[in-house]
Amino acid sequence: MKRFIEQNFYELLGIEFDASSFEINRAYKENYQLYHEDSLISYSLFSREERKEILAKLDEAFSTLVDEQKRSRYNQSLIECGILKEGTKSQNGRRTIGLISDSDHSRKNTILAIRGELEAMVSSNAVIQEILTHDVLRGKDLKRIREELGVSLETVAEMTKIRTIFLRAIEEDEYKKAPSEMFLKSYVKAYAQSIGLDADSVASRYLKGMSD
Amino acid sequence: MAHIWPIGGGKGGTGKSFLTGNLGILLARQRFKTLLIDADLGAANLHTIIGLSHPDRSLSDFINKRFLTLEETVIETPIPNLFLISGARNKLDIANIAYEQKTKMLRAISRLDYHYILLDLSSGTSFNTIDFFTLADSGIFVCCPEPTSIENFYGLVRSVYIRKIRQILKSYHFRKLAEEAEARNPNGIINNPEYLLDILKEIDLEKGRMIERILQTFQLKLVLNQVRKQDNPKIGILICKIVEKHLGLKIQFLGNVGFDERVHDELCKKGPFTDKYPYSQATMDLKALAKGVVGATREEAGVLALALPDVNTLSG
Repeated sequence: MKRFIEQNFYELLGIEFDASSFEINRAYKENYQLYHEDSLISYSLFSREERKEILAKLDEAFSTLVDEQKRSRYNQSLIECGILKEGTKSQNGRRTIGLISDSDHSRKNTILAIRGELEAMVSSNAVIQEILTHDVLRGKDLKRIREELGVSLETVAEMTKIRTIFLRAIEEDEYKKAPSEMFLKSYVKAYAQSIGLDADSVASRYLKGMSD
Repeated sequence: MAHIWPIGGGKGGTGKSFLTGNLGILLARQRFKTLLIDADLGAANLHTIIGLSHPDRSLSDFINKRFLTLEETVIETPIPNLFLISGARNKLDIANIAYEQKTKMLRAISRLDYHYILLDLSSGTSFNTIDFFTLADSGIFVCCPEPTSIENFYGLVRSVYIRKIRQILKSYHFRKLAEEAEARNPNGIINNPEYLLDILKEIDLEKGRMIERILQTFQLKLVLNQVRKQDNPKIGILICKIVEKHLGLKIQFLGNVGFDERVHDELCKKGPFTDKYPYSQATMDLKALAKGVVGATREEAGVLALALPDVNTLSG
């Protein structure tokens, strides 16, 4: 294994070469949690200088990869070093670099991967588990769950292809904003599924709240 | 052959003896013949955890040659299949036994006929503790989700590995390599096992790689004890991740054990906790750990099959 500080930005953040901006964001947040000054996890493991160096490197990785232009320049430099090959398969062989954002297939896989991880987070989060014991689920419950998972409304919109005004309406229990009850139900289902919840069970409990 | 699991942690009060005692009880209840050894030589108290107040013999009787075999120091406990070598009534100076004595003791331990042998170690990073880990080639670290405990845990992990590397150098007679590594790292300034390994590989790639392979057979586990509801349940996994990333060491996370007020009360009554509260979160967690220990032991049969070079064919 390469020493931490010698790793490329993707290795550093622990993400694939074709990671979406959502994945980059999340990876950065997770890593920050490990290395920030008051982190319990890495307490005493590094000297002050080492920690500073690690954090600076993470910042650099993040700010490069979230910026489309900087990222493609960086990718180009990796290609020149022979670390990355244009169009070759990435490590798990599932996705290809050339298909970062313009292929539906790759997008679907990314969403599936994200959902899988969110599902795991849902089952291990005590606050969410408590909310999910409720008979009736309100918009604010869904919002709370989404925030616990650290997913922005924009990300849900990106994953579900539902406009944010409708998603917000769901979270604020403004049922009338949806075109019809049938639409509302399918929106809630898509919303729930995208953040790793059981779509049917959430939707039926949400609709229960509507008739109150 | 018995599988030996030394159980230690950097800091005192993390619950090593509690864990050793209760894990032993759970393994014994699953009909595994289990032996607990209180190797916390200066401050033994494991007997109290399983509810025995006055053991009439102890490990020191073997060290002092009052008994010639280790078997004679074993006492039965009220729990079927559970046996104990107590550390009670040890003499004060026994906390500092020589390396050769430890090797002898461990050899005697490994010849005992049990399914599982759990060794309760003293806290801290003294050679007494570290050598039991390196000699058994496996171990369970117990840590609490608190800065003090985590700090000592990182200290212990580094020490165990650095000592292990030194011992390998010595046992394979890689004297030249050891001297050169020492020259490049005077007074052990580098306390990162990964960097030390890099230096060794730089000097002699083949031997360095061999040491690396031997280190990979080292089976270390982490248990987080006294995890409260407000603690992040993922801390243990993240600690193992960061140790692999920055020290180049693989430590497997075995699980969390929930904090339970009643552990204190039960200790005061001198009764075994898991028996009194079989359905508490802490007991459930301990049961999962016992499962993990059994699983890890089975897995290890495969690891041991990796043939390591013979001591005599290599020297340097």
